[in-house]
Amino acid sequence: MKFKDFIKDKIILIVSIILAVISIEILLLAYKIDLIIKIYIAVIILFVILLAILIEYTRKKHFYNQLKENIEGLQEKYLIPEVIKTPDFAEGKILKDVLQEIESSRIDNVNYYKNIQEEYKEYIELWIHEVKIPISASKLIIQNNKNKVTKSIDEELDKLENYTEQALYYARSNAVEKDYIITKTNLKEIVNGAILKNKSTLLNEKIVLEINDIEKTVCTDSKWATFIVNQIIQNSIKYSNPENKKIEIYAKEKNDKVILHIKDNGIGIKKGEITRVFERGFTGENGRIIGQKSTGIGLYLCKKLCDKLGLGIELNSEKNVGTEVKIIFPKNSYITF
Amino acid sequence: MQKILIVEDDKKIRQELESFLNKNGFLAIGINKFDNIIQDILDEKSDLVLLDINLPYLDGEYICKEIRKVSNVPIIIVTSRDNEIDELMSLNYGADQYVTKPYNIQILLAKIRGLLKRNQNAGTTMEKIDCNGFVLNLAQRTIEKDNKQIDLTKNEYSILYYLSINKGKVVSRDEIMDYLWESEEFIDDNTLNVNIKRLRNKLEEVGLVDKIETRRGQGYLLK
Repeated sequence: MKFKDFIKDKIILIVSIILAVISIEILLLAYKIDLIIKIYIAVIILFVILLAILIEYTRKKHFYNQLKENIEGLQEKYLIPEVIKTPDFAEGKILKDVLQEIESSRIDNVNYYKNIQEEYKEYIELWIHEVKIPISASKLIIQNNKNKVTKSIDEELDKLENYTEQALYYARSNAVEKDYIITKTNLKEIVNGAILKNKSTLLNEKIVLEINDIEKTVCTDSKWATFIVNQIIQNSIKYSNPENKKIEIYAKEKNDKVILHIKDNGIGIKKGEITRVFERGFTGENGRIIGQKSTGIGLYLCKKLCDKLGLGIELNSEKNVGTEVKIIFPKNSYITF
Repeated sequence: MQKILIVEDDKKIRQELESFLNKNGFLAIGINKFDNIIQDILDEKSDLVLLDINLPYLDGEYICKEIRKVSNVPIIIVTSRDNEIDELMSLNYGADQYVTKPYNIQILLAKIRGLLKRNQNAGTTMEKIDCNGFVLNLAQRTIEKDNKQIDLTKNEYSILYYLSINKGKVVSRDEIMDYLWESEEFIDDNTLNVNIKRLRNKLEEVGLVDKIETRRGQGYLLK
């Protein structure tokens, strides 16, 4: 709070006092009082008033400056009443009371939505587990009645399964810390798990897999990591080159990291779009062509989960040459969020 | 015949599993009453139990724990929950394997066979399989016949191994593919053809002609 601003606020008081002093001086003039007494009265009044204003200014300045400083340093600004002292002047008390009201109503409001969100997440998880039962039953029926038609239905069921899995991980993605376990895992298990999930498509599309040097120990949650690798492989399949389809997977060690490379020779991504592929809902040019419906969720989710799990993810691509995704795993179990 | 008990509350899944396992040479029995489930499972004295996690009355993990107190029967937990924590928990409760829905039936079959085999020759490990005319050496990955030894590549060995454990049965290409992929050999159709051809050549080298028969539209048969 600047002194100038404070004085401006007090301008009515100051003007009235000056008027009062002038009128007193006029009265004293009429009674022919000594000059020295006239000056003395004026000075005393003005001095006392000035002192009072200064005292009030320092008190308020202290409170408001502290308030401003705190609010700047505070990440969650609505918590401000928790960090300020109750001031010893009426206006300040009112302000603090109001802030407190705002805070509690805000917290109530946030909790309300938190609950709704939590309930919805629980429902989605429950629903996904439920929907897996008819998918399982259908797959069993297909296994017991194998023919061309059921094989085709089986492929569709695989897609359905992948979409439900994506939904499950999406629902969980905001609370990763609640259900994961970091263990020492062989990268091979993660990659092979993801490849197995795409078995029928990989075989039907006649995609050549080249897998090298993936026997490396990494520290991560294997289920989550498998999901991420699965999403990347699915993209590689989806946007693969119509001829000579090939996916290369290999790992390299670098300092305390293991970098998993997943490289395809597919249609690639336009230069201007590469930086945006991890944005939610971004589909780009490839998402609209060749009848490949893109949801713009897959890579977004990968990035989000990688961030939460302490993994790195990078994407390089060249139009009509191919795309390479690097996932960077830590070798030790120390991760930061 | 080996008896497999299916503890699953979804009627269709139970029936389809029963019919699939019966077709594959097991005696599959489904349980449809769950109010006295632990005693019922123990009374059946089966060779293996397929146990669902979400069941009426009691959940699968508890059932598993209770059974383990009195019996060593192999248990495979089947569930639609699929996070690491659930998997760890059920292995803690004494389950031998953990399969998530919607499972690949061939994988399930391979796991059932593996568990039953391990249970039968607990302690001893199989080193050689006698295949009517030649011996498959599992340790060295070779074919042995009359002092002759022929080395097999990893893929050839896996195919021959799978055919030999299903000796006398027609094995579909899909099944072989599933087995190979499960054993982390991601080969395609052509590679399978090439490998079968090479295997036949190698068998012919030791004088075994037409040992692997092709059944059109069905698969292969090791005679």
